[in-house]
Amino acid sequence: MKVLVLSGYGINCENETLHAFEVVGFKGKIVHINDLIQNPKQLNNYQVFAIPGGFSYGDDTGSGNAMAKKIMTNLHDQLIDFSLKNKLIIGICNGCQILINLGLVPNLNKKDPEVAMIENKSGSYECRWVDVKVNNNKSPWLKNISILNLPVAHQEGQFMIPKNLLKTIKANNLIGLQYIDHDKKLAKGKFPFNPNGSKDDIAALTNQNGNILAMMPHPERAFYHYHVPNWQNNNSKKFGDGYKIFVNAKKFFL
Amino acid sequence: MTNTIQILSIEKTGKESLLQKEHNNKSIKIIDGYFFSKNLDNQKFNKISKLISNEVSQTILTKKNVNKVLSSYSNFNWVVEIKFLPGVTDNIASTVKEIINDNLKSSFKSFELGSTKIILIKGRKDDITKISNNEANPLIQTIKIYSFKKYLSNFKKNKFKIENVKLPKKKYSKKEIDLDISDQDLSLIGKLGIEENDKSRRGTLGLDLESLKAIRNYFYTIKRKPTDVEIETLAQTWSEHCKHKIFSAKIDDIQEGIFKKYIKGATEKIIQLRKDNFCVSLFTDNAGGIEFNKDWIICHKVETHNTPSALDPFGGAITGIVGVNRDCLGFGKGAKPIANTYAYYLADPNKNYQLYRQKNNKDPMLPANFIAKGIISGVRVGGNCSGIPTPQGNVYFDDRFAGKPLVFCGTVGIIPKKIKGKLSYKKKANPGDIILMAGGRVGKDGIHGATFSSEELDPNSPVSAVQIGDPITQKKMSDVIIRELRDENLYSSITDNGAGGLSSSIGEMAKESGGFIVNLEKVPLKYNGLYPWEIWVSESQERMTLAIPPANVKKVIKKFNSRGVEATIIGKFIKKEKAIVKYNKTEILNLDMEFLHEGYPKLNLKTSFPKITKVKKKIIKKISLIDKLNKLLSSPNIVSKEFIATQYDHEVQATSIIKPLQGEGKVFGNSTAIKPLFDDEKSIALSQAAYPQYAETNPYDMAGCSIDTAYKNLIVSGANSKKIAILDNFCWCSSDEPDRLYQLKEAAKACYDYAVAYQVPFISGKDSMFNDFKGFNKTGKSVKISIPPTLLISSIGVVDKISHLTKITPDNGDILLVLGNTRNELQDSVYSKIIGYEKSKNPVVNTKDSLRIYKNFEKANKLGIINSAIGVDLGGLGIAITKMAIASNKGLCIDLKSKNKISVDQFLFSETQSRILVSLKKNKLANFKKIFKISDYTIIGKCTSSDTIEFKDNKKITKGKILDFAKSYKKNIKGL
Repeated sequence: MKVLVLSGYGINCENETLHAFEVVGFKGKIVHINDLIQNPKQLNNYQVFAIPGGFSYGDDTGSGNAMAKKIMTNLHDQLIDFSLKNKLIIGICNGCQILINLGLVPNLNKKDPEVAMIENKSGSYECRWVDVKVNNNKSPWLKNISILNLPVAHQEGQFMIPKNLLKTIKANNLIGLQYIDHDKKLAKGKFPFNPNGSKDDIAALTNQNGNILAMMPHPERAFYHYHVPNWQNNNSKKFGDGYKIFVNAKKFFL
Repeated sequence: MTNTIQILSIEKTGKESLLQKEHNNKSIKIIDGYFFSKNLDNQKFNKISKLISNEVSQTILTKKNVNKVLSSYSNFNWVVEIKFLPGVTDNIASTVKEIINDNLKSSFKSFELGSTKIILIKGRKDDITKISNNEANPLIQTIKIYSFKKYLSNFKKNKFKIENVKLPKKKYSKKEIDLDISDQDLSLIGKLGIEENDKSRRGTLGLDLESLKAIRNYFYTIKRKPTDVEIETLAQTWSEHCKHKIFSAKIDDIQEGIFKKYIKGATEKIIQLRKDNFCVSLFTDNAGGIEFNKDWIICHKVETHNTPSALDPFGGAITGIVGVNRDCLGFGKGAKPIANTYAYYLADPNKNYQLYRQKNNKDPMLPANFIAKGIISGVRVGGNCSGIPTPQGNVYFDDRFAGKPLVFCGTVGIIPKKIKGKLSYKKKANPGDIILMAGGRVGKDGIHGATFSSEELDPNSPVSAVQIGDPITQKKMSDVIIRELRDENLYSSITDNGAGGLSSSIGEMAKESGGFIVNLEKVPLKYNGLYPWEIWVSESQERMTLAIPPANVKKVIKKFNSRGVEATIIGKFIKKEKAIVKYNKTEILNLDMEFLHEGYPKLNLKTSFPKITKVKKKIIKKISLIDKLNKLLSSPNIVSKEFIATQYDHEVQATSIIKPLQGEGKVFGNSTAIKPLFDDEKSIALSQAAYPQYAETNPYDMAGCSIDTAYKNLIVSGANSKKIAILDNFCWCSSDEPDRLYQLKEAAKACYDYAVAYQVPFISGKDSMFNDFKGFNKTGKSVKISIPPTLLISSIGVVDKISHLTKITPDNGDILLVLGNTRNELQDSVYSKIIGYEKSKNPVVNTKDSLRIYKNFEKANKLGIINSAIGVDLGGLGIAITKMAIASNKGLCIDLKSKNKISVDQFLFSETQSRILVSLKKNKLANFKKIFKISDYTIIGKCTSSDTIEFKDNKKITKGKILDFAKSYKKNIKGL
């Protein structure tokens, strides 16, 4: 089991993302986008493709846009090919924004991007811990998970989805994660439970196959128990909730 | 055909909502504009528009749709167009250019492009002017206000234009400067700069008469006239910023100067006393380094960026943070930045100070809230875009920062102790090594930055001293260095280009080899037309200078280029102790290295005891205890800084272990911790402290308090007392006045005394000596505003085990105790400012008692006796108690009889140092008593399950709801 973790041009969460995969049993490598463009065939050696968080191109022209354009121009076919095989793709935060801009998620019309990531309603960067729940989604990434406590850190985390498309997304169960409040009920847009004002409290989307997950919260930053705020009050577990996502990836290939 | 692409969001953006809220709900729309120097045909327009916009969320304006699209939002009538002045870094434009080059390749090239923000409003001209004042800075941006009609006509007639850097195309010829002139004319060169042929001046050199005379004498002895480049270089190298002349000067009877005697002297003394030296790199490198574990070293550096932040708060702060990041990259062979720290000392953002740099209300200071917001955003963008967590910081407000804000930016780095068997923190440029410049290109930005930080802010301050950082270019460069070059040992030395640019970085590095030869025409430029001296001293950001053995050069350049980073050979290091610079084969600089670095005249300073102005009595407000607590909690210097913590990514790198917001109730902590390695449970605790409010009363005790608090906070966090180091950042004012120098000397002396007492070494430091504003108020009266002397002590320590990390939240049933005695030390306290002033004293640290308490705390904590703990600081014990309650959402019951002989207000609000509020599980009390001396602690109450804090005084019980305290503590700061 091998994971390729993308880097370059301002992506910045590659180390901790790779570490999380390694701890659950993957072998992996951080590959610079330019090296991947030079030699796209190396993708064949990997079962998981991970686009970590960061600030590719400084979010200029919209978060994830410039990097998505670079991938589209240079790696599009290879990535589509990868996604159609029995393999997994994850995009976290900036990675999520890139996948959305690539149109790989939700990928209902199989062409241009259908969803946009726009600025948080608050107008400011939000770095805070949130609770999200899994909503009837069959993605292997989210199997057997009900609720996760994870941090978000983004300026543009609001999923903007045209009305009709949202219906289709719901009908196909493509909503991966939704923000919830302290009572474990949907946040209904209420800040700070829903940190960005995303419609329907959406925190993650998948493609129809479920093998591609685009999520705004950071599971790799909630990997060990000591990552979780106030862990000293609950010191019994070794791992935080983010661990579950990576373990699911491993289970998929067992 | 068009020369502009303009894009707007279909839905209202967060930014638009914020603006609307600030401007009485006027209809507002923001357009992202891109102006091209070349016309785009329809095909290119469509293609490029698609590349830089989002079909789902945005609309692209065209001549056809512009009317209809915009009128669907509102009947706009005014427009402001904001774009960068020519030559100012435009990051968005660079990205767009890159996208276009990537996709259109050779079919569309050699064009210029500028990004523009266009704001439309339905309102009056006053409204748009107000918006432009809040959104743009005339120092770095052009601001055009016109009617919406005009906008439409501009759109249809292709009237949007970008302005390029316009530089004279004159050919450079070597310029010799005659110094054989009157003292008065010499002084003019120092103050206003070298005279050009057209009699204009280049801008301040910051050289005093004595320095210019030293230069003249040197050139007498070598029998020629200096070139302009030589004078510019000497000005940079000898600047206060680079040489710290005041700290190294003879001062009164201290021959060796206060740096050697008190700062370095303290560290040397401590090393001699302790015999367990964990310091690996002190004072000489870009940062100070200590041992983290047997394989890793951590380094820390804190810089200030005050003057640039006064002129352009966003640009000043972002260059501050990415600049100090480069200090880490330039530590040893290159440390990876793993945490940022910040501390801002600002004027009240809710006040309108109305200060002007020139008479007749000309050249105004930026408003206090503009400065505050800009600084906070600058560090946000710099830190977040670089992928470096920013967990630790604080903000302090005082009117005396109205003339100059203080912006402290710090970075912690980590580096393996050995790289391929060699010590990583040792570096040496060897004769024959190639000089390579990597990263961004050189432009006119920041010319004269180093020389001008030595001068007071006055009408002649050069505006080109402002730069804007480009964190992504730096991130790309940093990734190559740390990840792909360093561990291969491909270079012999590395340093960053900060103040003074190449002249400073190469000049410093060449000390390792002997000297250098540089060919300036090789340096890649942002635009043509720069004079050689400008290339040499430019402070364009995001550049590192490397010394590379010739055999490795190709490999290194190839690596940089493959990651989208430019790297250029610009010269070589030589053995001969000469500094030589050529431009197109003409030698324009040739100086002895010894003269370059040591030729400046040493200062001889005298101090005198300052007049102490008595603090005016202020009648104490007769309000209830609960009201006092709430008032203090919501006062700007105590109120939660959560709004900053949540916009600074402190989780990136997955190292955050003690976060800035602590407990369920999210109390803004005074220390934080990161765990930098996946395979070692050790973590790094960080804190900082400064007490400018105590400075005028007693600078010695002020410094003592800063060191005590910064040290104590780490002890409280669980750090190993044997592995704590500190950094000093002196921000002073009027350092040419004997009484200010007296305060400086006193503070430095305290640094020695307290550091030696705690055996906590200084590993790095920096000073900024002239934080004064000279100008005019709104009535035209000339005013001088000096900051209060501010000494920021930053502390860094190693926490050996995860289990040693403490929390600030007590549990139900815990016993509450205060360690350390409380004295009547209310002078200059927050209480005295907010509630009133009574006769009192300023806090004085007694290290004999505090050391014993800290040692015992450390012991008790390791034994698991302490359940929770919080350092007592601003606002005193009362505030520490309420913070504990807010953080844990647990009730506390406080017995005021425990106050002993002082009054209730003195007990609760005195700012006596060296105190820790702790909670214990009941069953640990016996063990606790075995460790602590009975006179070192007071049991003051217990933790309960109620939702209130109860204060019991004999039979009277005063109660306050935790929820209400939390509300006060989380109030917004007015004006922000």
